[in-house]
Amino acid sequence: MASSQVVKVLIVEDDIVTRRIYRTMLSRFGFEVTEAEDGKKAINHFVDGNEYDLVLMDKEMPKMDGVEATRTLRGMGIPVKIVAITGDEHSRGAFLDAGADEFLLKPLSILALTDILKAFNFLN
Amino acid sequence: MASAPFKAQLTDLLNSMFAMDFLDEQFKELQMLEEASGPGFLTEVVTLFCGDAERIISQLDALLNEPAVDFGKVDANVHQLKGSSSSVGAKRVALVCIKFRNVCQENDKEGCIAALHEIRHEFDELRKKFQTMLQLEQQIQDLDSK
Repeated sequence: MASSQVVKVLIVEDDIVTRRIYRTMLSRFGFEVTEAEDGKKAINHFVDGNEYDLVLMDKEMPKMDGVEATRTLRGMGIPVKIVAITGDEHSRGAFLDAGADEFLLKPLSILALTDILKAFNFLN
Repeated sequence: MASAPFKAQLTDLLNSMFAMDFLDEQFKELQMLEEASGPGFLTEVVTLFCGDAERIISQLDALLNEPAVDFGKVDANVHQLKGSSSSVGAKRVALVCIKFRNVCQENDKEGCIAALHEIRHEFDELRKKFQTMLQLEQQIQDLDSK
């Protein structure tokens, strides 16, 4: 886990509405949430020395898509849990091959998110 | 209670929006989130969505009026609108976005223009209903807080 007790989550998603919804879903659990609007900005957060426990990764984004961002993070040796969340069901294989830990289809439900958080032991 | 008739109107409005597929189950997720996180969340998300959708639709209009249409940019914008409409449960808007992407991927300019008109129509209808919903919620809140 990242160095503090609070679970730190990075939302990587180009749509502002979706980011707002994810932020509210996560804030209910007292998590610390950071947002990045594309894969390149997400990578930069890690390059800047920030640590996260969980990344919620969209697929289609400008500058760098989610599969490439996932592959880049794994190539950097970043062990963070990465959950791909996309409407493209055909990208499951690509995401898992790139190193994502889980794959969820949009739109994200509270139940699906809660199940993943429990599976990763981020919830008591 | 003074707010009772407005609550009834709001219930009727939302029921009709679900029945006519303006909204789907995802909107109910947002309603549950508001119950958990407090008032104001739905207003914020709906307002964000409407502003963002208006921006994207204007952008699409501009892109399709170019002499040489960049279908890649059109597709990227439609994809974004599909994403935000799916996230708020705006079912009819999301469905038209899927149709739009299909004609866009065939580089069909006329098809794209027709799809844009349809998106504009669906979004305008939805926005009117959202505005009524937010007005009713505000009236209810004002009356209940007295």
